[in-house]
Amino acid sequence: MTQTPAAPGPDDGRVGVTIDGREVRVPKGTLVLDAATELGIHIPIYCAHAKLDPVAVCRMCLVHIEKFPKPQPACATTVAEGMVVTTNNAEVTKLREGVLEFLLVNHPLDCPVCDRGGECDLQDFTFRYGPGTSRFPITEKVHFAKALPLSQHIELDQERCILCWRCVRYYDEITGEKEIVLQQRGVQTLVTTFNGEQLKSNFQGNLPEVCPVGALTHREYRFRARPWELQRAPSVCPECSYGCNINADSRDFEIKRFASRDNPLVDDMWLCDRGRYSFPQWNTSERVRRPQLRPRGGEQRDVTAVEAISAAARELRAVVDQHGSGAVGVLGSALNTNEELWLLGRLARDVIGTPHIDHQLEPFEKLDPAEHALGIADIEECDALVVLGAEPEAEAPVLTLRLFKAERKRGARVHRLDHGADPSRIASAVRGAKTIGVIADETNRAHAARVAAAITGGAVRRLTVTRGVNGRGAKDMGVLPGLAAGYRSAPSGKHGREILEAAASGALRALLILGPNPALETAGDVLQRALARADSVVVIDSRPGVCAGAATVLIPGHAFFEKHGTVTNLEGRVQRIRPALPPATPTPTETRVLSSLAAELGARDWDRGEPSAVNRALRAALAPYAAAGNGGRATWVAEAVA
Amino acid sequence: MIKEIVQGMAFTLKQMLSRPLTVQYPEEQKPVPVRHRGRHILHRYDNGLERCIGCELCAANCPVGCIYVEAAENDPANPVSPGERYAIRYEINLMRCIYCGYCAEACPTEAITLGPQYELADYRREHTVVTKAELLESWPHFAQSRRPPSPRGAGADQTGREEIDPGVSPRLAWDLVDARRQSGQGPHAGDLGIPADVPTVTEPGTTRDNA
Amino acid sequence: MAEFPLLTKDFGTQDLHERAVYERTGGYQGLREAFKRFTPETLIAEVKTSGIRGRGGAGFPTGTKWSFLPKDVFPRYLCCNADESEPGCFKDRYLIDKSPHQLVEGVLIASYALQVNVAFIYIRGEYRDQRLLLERAVEEARAAGFIGKNILGSGFDCDVIVHGGAGAYICGEETALIDSLEGLRGQPRLKPPFPAVKGLYGQPTVVNNVETLCNLPHIVQRGGEWFKSLGTEGSTGTRLFCCSGHIKKPGTYEMLLGTPIRELLEEECGGMRTGSTLKAFQPGGGSMQVLLPEHVDLPLDMNEVQKAGSSLGAGAMIFMDQDTCLVDVSMRLVDFYQHESCGKCVPCREGTYFESQLMHKLEAGHATPAELATLSDICANMDGRCFCPLGDTATWFVMSAYKHFRDEFEAHCNAGECPVKARARERAA
Repeated sequence: MTQTPAAPGPDDGRVGVTIDGREVRVPKGTLVLDAATELGIHIPIYCAHAKLDPVAVCRMCLVHIEKFPKPQPACATTVAEGMVVTTNNAEVTKLREGVLEFLLVNHPLDCPVCDRGGECDLQDFTFRYGPGTSRFPITEKVHFAKALPLSQHIELDQERCILCWRCVRYYDEITGEKEIVLQQRGVQTLVTTFNGEQLKSNFQGNLPEVCPVGALTHREYRFRARPWELQRAPSVCPECSYGCNINADSRDFEIKRFASRDNPLVDDMWLCDRGRYSFPQWNTSERVRRPQLRPRGGEQRDVTAVEAISAAARELRAVVDQHGSGAVGVLGSALNTNEELWLLGRLARDVIGTPHIDHQLEPFEKLDPAEHALGIADIEECDALVVLGAEPEAEAPVLTLRLFKAERKRGARVHRLDHGADPSRIASAVRGAKTIGVIADETNRAHAARVAAAITGGAVRRLTVTRGVNGRGAKDMGVLPGLAAGYRSAPSGKHGREILEAAASGALRALLILGPNPALETAGDVLQRALARADSVVVIDSRPGVCAGAATVLIPGHAFFEKHGTVTNLEGRVQRIRPALPPATPTPTETRVLSSLAAELGARDWDRGEPSAVNRALRAALAPYAAAGNGGRATWVAEAVA
Repeated sequence: MIKEIVQGMAFTLKQMLSRPLTVQYPEEQKPVPVRHRGRHILHRYDNGLERCIGCELCAANCPVGCIYVEAAENDPANPVSPGERYAIRYEINLMRCIYCGYCAEACPTEAITLGPQYELADYRREHTVVTKAELLESWPHFAQSRRPPSPRGAGADQTGREEIDPGVSPRLAWDLVDARRQSGQGPHAGDLGIPADVPTVTEPGTTRDNA
Repeated sequence: MAEFPLLTKDFGTQDLHERAVYERTGGYQGLREAFKRFTPETLIAEVKTSGIRGRGGAGFPTGTKWSFLPKDVFPRYLCCNADESEPGCFKDRYLIDKSPHQLVEGVLIASYALQVNVAFIYIRGEYRDQRLLLERAVEEARAAGFIGKNILGSGFDCDVIVHGGAGAYICGEETALIDSLEGLRGQPRLKPPFPAVKGLYGQPTVVNNVETLCNLPHIVQRGGEWFKSLGTEGSTGTRLFCCSGHIKKPGTYEMLLGTPIRELLEEECGGMRTGSTLKAFQPGGGSMQVLLPEHVDLPLDMNEVQKAGSSLGAGAMIFMDQDTCLVDVSMRLVDFYQHESCGKCVPCREGTYFESQLMHKLEAGHATPAELATLSDICANMDGRCFCPLGDTATWFVMSAYKHFRDEFEAHCNAGECPVKARARERAA
């Protein structure tokens, strides 16, 4: 551009543009659309998408740019020094009206029965920028298939489609699977699957979210609710340790869907189908609802929460008095919040005084916080990535998308190898790369360490995929034998399976189980025997299962979507969870139950155990968590590790 | 003084001979005005399919939030309503309802209207939450449950809507009347000149409740 | 005028499509001379000197286009655009039919100038015979050593691949052609990056029209200065014009640029048919604006015709007589564009459909004046807002016809039938 601004800014790689009379300096290569967003100027878009490359097919974002003979698409035009953009003049208003009129020519306008009605860009922009009436002569619109199932999750309505290509580009650019294609041409163009096959991707659930209209919809959400009556709870997906941010949308005390909540550092707004469609399990009515006492050989009876807590304390004290504090085993879960786990760890070590505490079955040796040093977003910065085995991506599927992004945007080489691949071979395969990421499953930590040690000539960082939504938090909180909160060394104790075996053999006389713990329930026979043999089994659980069934004192817990707290994902990011549903039980939340239990057992300096207060205390005690705050990463310096 | 007494007595005598205004309710009932807004009715098409598509716009438009709708997908082989969606549950809390008629206004298929029924008292609070089964026109004898058409024809009112082809939905008819008003023609200026190809939301010949 | 006609000079020779015959008429001399006298750089300079402009429709100077290629980025590709689909245009077919070797020679010269080792000839799907002819010519040229490794001992390697389209008008657009050649849907790409920077398979690519490339052997043999002396300042050389419509001798005629259109009409085409008078004509094929009889004295010069509000486009002259209903013509052209719209961008995909519905209503005499106003507004909403020129050009003829023949359009409103046709019928009766 020949025109220079009044005061050319410093050469900082930024350029000055004027949009609607307001100036802004943005980095070179910024799109006009993003520059306008920076100024808070709204430009309607359909085909453009923050995570996809521009195609400029919908023509909705056309704006007037001085010195250009024709209106230019804001989504595909990069800014230049001195560019003068107008988005609010009569010309732009008219062309927006024109494009919307065209879009509605063949749109079925079945908004009342469309799942997207209420959160539809076509509807919203038509109200905001549209012409109000159509001048299309009343002849037949072009008709296509409606309610066409593309898979068990996705339904397609070809009539509602405005052919923005987002779904096609999503498959091209985000997953690389290319399952959706365009067929025919002109007004007959339609979106369909490649060769008419069913969608097989693990990431189909993102399609309805990239779709700006109601063409692609969730079958699980079909006609379940209108968007305006949904209660939205920003939370974290409970399916794996990746920690994807979600909105749990509920209506009438039922979660109706999980919607993505863009966090560029974690999920980049994409969810996997396993996580997204896991919501029905949280609506189950199979719940532990009342505190119960079931003394061995006595009669089962419902009690109040206060009575149950006193009974639990009585039983535990009796075991400690009789057999010593080492006769109590404590089991947490990777589904609990950091606050609960922190209290559980303190309860076990400081109040009861037992070293036998764990949250999973397998032993966990030589735990090194450095094995989580590679952040999720850092994957994009790596030149070479080594994925050991299929487990990491099976455990945390969204990882696949981040790896693909690194491949596509940066040209990174992704080596997907056997989980026992020869370290020296891996080292030669990644030779020449400056930054290398090694990603392994929790069960393959030792081998990943050997691989990382074998690679020379580049900065190597490791990422370990932990199990369970808060598997990482459980380790940080010290719900491990031999490691207290903050990886401080503690007297060594039994790991999960040993605790169960000891209880089954009678070496441990009491169990305190904070559930729900799916890992525990895979233990099988030994779990049954342990629960049957122990004198006292105190269970705080939300689901009626093996543990709840064998409890001597049963205290109802709160499900993941019924409580406040924080969870830590595999890279150490501490994220808030919030209740999306009212609690199924009137008993106090777990943190308060644990605090009361501690108080009954003689702890003096514990407060009432409100989650927020526990969180404050936790952050005061653990510096990395204080630094992480809400949404930051808790990183542990190597020296802190014993 | 006497004059006043005589005047008073005369008035009394006159009233004694005239027909009493009092209606012996509930044995006798006064006719309900045409546009009375009483309890809601969920309508059907003439082929028996429900008009309601479960879009919940009535609930969204309701100023007091007394409508609760749950939608479900139609079985194409045995549909409840035309199209993909129908209301599997439709409830109105009549205690909360203010009978404003906004639900009828919001309805895209004219499935809900406010009917003539005003006897809504009940001994139990729960009974005042009416369900879909109670609200829906009965089938196949639904014609009997409908109010007899007003003598002035469907959709009649003071603006001359009686002249409009009963096949045209009241909403469309309003637009036509408005258009004619704006063009300077009186509402009674004769044929409205509805072009033959204007789509009718209602099937021709359907009598409509337009309370 | 020994040098004129230029491209069609030997087209009277029998069996010109045979290599031996072509070589007898001086064929492949241009290629030999290119290797002998020019380096790639000087060859590009020579083409620049000649001032030849692209013959495909847009009229972009070929030498300038070639110089946009980034230096030192290899491989590069050359695509010959033989996807001639413009309504009323059939010059490329004529050139290939008569002398396929001339095109092959042109392709090879351009490949040499651009240092391209693989050149593609993308030929329209419906031109089956021409594709077979071209394939045969390529095989013959390969056998004679004009294609392959170390051509004529110059050290230059080049392969030529003939690729048939699948019948989409849009593939005549250069980026859509590239997409189609890559095996994708034939749809235009977002520009920038332009094909010269990032084209076929992400590499620098030049797309040239058949006629442009056919000119190259002659430019090489006789020099750019000589070529520049032909025609006018802004439009050098000769061009093939495909004449059709209500004229006595429809056909393809090579004309020196700058000649008045009247000369083409009266002398080459033999004038209008008996009983016909010229009502309107389209100088550049289906997409270009209509011109009136008063424009017949314009010279065949791209700039001059542009000033009159149209364009020489791909060189297709369609002459219409007094019984032609411009509404009817508009409707048919709009239908064509509606059928050929690729569906990529909204204004073109939906706009052409909208336009076509309105035109049908108007042609049948059922449209209201308000709908006529809508038509022109729809066109305004499409023109300049589409992704590629297809959508824009879908409005040009209609808008120009509406401008010049407003009465005719208005007469159609609420008429119940086409007044022009009714008049013609009356006259016939």
